[in-house]
Amino acid sequence: MDFRYQASALALVSGLTLAGAAGAQEWSLEEAAKPYAGTTVDVVFLLRPGYEAAEAMLPEFEEKTGIKVNIIKQPYENSLGEQVRDFVADGDLDIALIDLVWIGNFAENGWIEPISKFTSNPDLTDPDLDIDDFFPLVLNAFGGWNGEIYGLPFDNYSGLLFYNKCMLDDAGFDGPPQTWDELKDVYGPALTKDGKYAFALQSKRNETQSADSFARVLWPFGGSFLDENFRSNLLSDESLAGLNFRQDLMQYMPEGIVAYDHAETVNAFAQGDVAMITEWSAFYSTLTNPETSQVTDCLAISPEPKGPAGRKPALGGFSLAVASQADEDEQAAAWLFIQWVTSKANAMEYLERGGVPARQSVYQEAGVAEKFSFVPSLVESWQEGVPEFRPRFAEWPEVTEIVQEWGTKIMLGDVTVEDGAKELGDRMEAVLEKAGYYDGRKPLAQ
Amino acid sequence: MTGLAPGAGRRLAPQIALLLLVILFCVFPFYWMVTTSLKTQLLALQAPPAWIFEPTLSNYRAVLIDDGVGRTLINSLIVAISTTALAIALGAPAAYALARFEFRGKKDLWFWFITNRMVSPIVLALPFFLIVRKIGLLDTQLVLILIYLTFNLPIVIWICTDQFRSIPYDLDEAAILEGASQFRIFRSICLPLAMPGVAVSAIFAFIFSWNELLFALVLTRSNARTAPAMAVSFMEGYNLPFGKIMATSTLIVIPVIIFALIASKQLVRGLTMGAVK
Amino acid sequence: MRGSVGRKTIIAFIGPAVLALAVIGIGPLLFAAWTSLLNFNLTKLRDVRFIGLENYANVLTDEAFWAAMGRTFTLLGIALPVQIALGLGIALLLSQPGVGFLRTLTRLSLVVPMATTYAVVGLLGQVMFNIKFGVVNQLIGFLGFSPVNWIGDSTNAFILVVFWDIWQWTPFVALVLLAGLTTVPGEIEEAARLETRKWWTILRHVQLPFLIPGLTAVLILRTADTLKLFDMVFTMTRGGPGAATEFVSVMIQRVGFRAFNLGLASAQAIILLIITIILSQLYLKLVYKEVRQ
Repeated sequence: MDFRYQASALALVSGLTLAGAAGAQEWSLEEAAKPYAGTTVDVVFLLRPGYEAAEAMLPEFEEKTGIKVNIIKQPYENSLGEQVRDFVADGDLDIALIDLVWIGNFAENGWIEPISKFTSNPDLTDPDLDIDDFFPLVLNAFGGWNGEIYGLPFDNYSGLLFYNKCMLDDAGFDGPPQTWDELKDVYGPALTKDGKYAFALQSKRNETQSADSFARVLWPFGGSFLDENFRSNLLSDESLAGLNFRQDLMQYMPEGIVAYDHAETVNAFAQGDVAMITEWSAFYSTLTNPETSQVTDCLAISPEPKGPAGRKPALGGFSLAVASQADEDEQAAAWLFIQWVTSKANAMEYLERGGVPARQSVYQEAGVAEKFSFVPSLVESWQEGVPEFRPRFAEWPEVTEIVQEWGTKIMLGDVTVEDGAKELGDRMEAVLEKAGYYDGRKPLAQ
Repeated sequence: MTGLAPGAGRRLAPQIALLLLVILFCVFPFYWMVTTSLKTQLLALQAPPAWIFEPTLSNYRAVLIDDGVGRTLINSLIVAISTTALAIALGAPAAYALARFEFRGKKDLWFWFITNRMVSPIVLALPFFLIVRKIGLLDTQLVLILIYLTFNLPIVIWICTDQFRSIPYDLDEAAILEGASQFRIFRSICLPLAMPGVAVSAIFAFIFSWNELLFALVLTRSNARTAPAMAVSFMEGYNLPFGKIMATSTLIVIPVIIFALIASKQLVRGLTMGAVK
Repeated sequence: MRGSVGRKTIIAFIGPAVLALAVIGIGPLLFAAWTSLLNFNLTKLRDVRFIGLENYANVLTDEAFWAAMGRTFTLLGIALPVQIALGLGIALLLSQPGVGFLRTLTRLSLVVPMATTYAVVGLLGQVMFNIKFGVVNQLIGFLGFSPVNWIGDSTNAFILVVFWDIWQWTPFVALVLLAGLTTVPGEIEEAARLETRKWWTILRHVQLPFLIPGLTAVLILRTADTLKLFDMVFTMTRGGPGAATEFVSVMIQRVGFRAFNLGLASAQAIILLIITIILSQLYLKLVYKEVRQ
């Protein structure tokens, strides 16, 4: 699917609607929110840096608008179930928090509204919304489904290589590895000694296994979950090469890596026990904070290493969309909040408070790249990511469970790479078959 | 120590050592939970862990003030007390009937009551969620109060049936001769005599309800969220706030342990009532 | 005249409880039975349709389900004998005369594991058995052992669940058996002690008969609770690594509330229910027999 084309078409549409609204010169948030003062909107937030940043900024919004934002905090692993249960029960969530892999599911169920419903209303929409300012890949992957934009990118990640400059220096390296093979064959043996490890790959049996571990080794080696007919592509030479690579790389990782979630991985790096990790950009604030990291002075960041098929770094993140179950006032209030929290004007504050905005403009401002050392790598990564890094179709919640189970089994050696990949592929195909992808009931979109 | 013969010390030494070992085994995790809750985040993740440190109450401040754990504790309390009261109100008369009346299918009925205690909550959680969703009662205390009856009623009936059986018949036979109704006999004669059993089953029902997680996870969100569900919700893969998690755990566990210690004599009776006659 | 009361009185006494349990206990089960015949995914409510016994066919042929079932009974098979052995040891220890204060203290501390919230037990497991900052690895380090990878290794993670199950429920077994021991009439025991000094003989021939009812109760309750086991595993390992600690209730929760396949999960739940009912009927009949003796 050519997302660039889609994104530009969308940009065109939204540009037109904005041009229509441009007549209303004196648009202000206060004015727009007046009819909705006193409205409460409910939203699920995670316990992550980007959400803390938004929460800290919230009083300003509430004061300006009189809209109350009620935050329900959930850990990531509970947040999908929480929202699904709320939506099927016609509950009270007014905003959907959408991990990019949930977008197909939420959109197909009609749980979220396309933004065009609001951007077509000049009373509600900030003339400075400037949808083109979002990184096209991010906007399309996090917020778009089937050519329609539903959510605005809010908590945005790209996989980055965080490395400990001091440890690399000591081992005689003057820079990070450029390729995955180099990481394994050159850096691996040199940095794994004296109880320290060259690398850690978070692989716990939850979404971390699917997103951070399994998919991360598929794409750079030319593999993928599905072929063009939506059959399993896991037994292709490329996919198997990636999975075998991971197996081989484990000798340079700490013991028990299949129990490592982000927290353990980042902590191992922060304690100086591991020289390199590939983690989400969001951890920049954790790793630069002396209260949570002992390696702040040694921290350096580069894009993820390349594989034979190119860079293809991990892509993940969340958009916010208006929930269909909300009534009209709540929808309007929800939209005003989403628009405000992801706005160009607030991007800098969000960044400074520890969030990662998806606004191109903020990263072009003078001094940002120097102050936030992850920025150049992030911007580079967002040029070449794969939107279907994990398929975003409605079946992902079922598929990811299978990946999590068999992905960890492969790593543990409970099954061989080939047998595990086959089993995983068969089970994945069974889900897709039931969904109707093979008999033409459903278009092949991911 | 009273009346120990000289030389008994040596004989008792292994016994004392073993008892101390048992105490250590039982209490150490509890000790570790409390001390971890008094550590700062850096200290909680320090390797190897510290045994001597300057305790701080910051985790308690954080969970009680910022995260609203207090409200979830109150929710837990309301739910546990209500469901216990309801279970007693429904279960005690039923137990009385099962102990005292003769009727067809009595034994099967008793089996059925007790079998409910065996059913995995996950069996009920799925359909209960679907039903509750339909009638719009998700995230209410009422739903938890009702569904906790599925394991509380069997406990109450199990323990109380045995208790009522142990009350001699002479008393109510005398009462019947005086023309008292069964309700009066139950209320004025048997129930007061059966109070120990009722109390034990109430303690059990309370503890089981207070500790319940699965139903609370599935059926509540923010309004009726209970404390165990709250403790679990701190487990974000992005960081490991073990200080906060242990502080919440301590707040959950301390009341029920105090309660159980006060009632420990009755607890032992309750454990054995259905079994040891 | 004993027990001969009118139908109305009986219904008045027992009716409310029966009704309540029927509504909240049986109602949902019927609903689950119906759901188990549907293609019912919570995130695909537009594609709900009747598929007969297909879910059952899937469950019955799913190796992962039976592996989870087998794992559950393996846990029971390992943990229960240890609990009974340790529990009996503690009960015998507590029934010995002497050091009254320490015995009281022991009895009180036995209450602590039993009252600890199951979810908290799992959280404690994560804290205490962490490979790096866990206190257990520190302690075994003092003894000269190298750190053990508890949570990240399949076998060790299973052992960990067994350990916590034993920690939490050995006190229960001990207290039940202690209560059983106190029912042994003093004169019988003393007479036996005059004849033999072997504690084993006394246990086997004098005390055991009084322990049987308690042991049966333990067997019933532990079997039921192992089939139900969810909280502690959910908060400690979430079934991992791989599927090493995916017990049957954990698996059903995952299928139903994470993959949202409520049809399949309902079929799994119904099968679990059938197994539970068969086992508990078996056990309860056993108890009744014992009681009658």
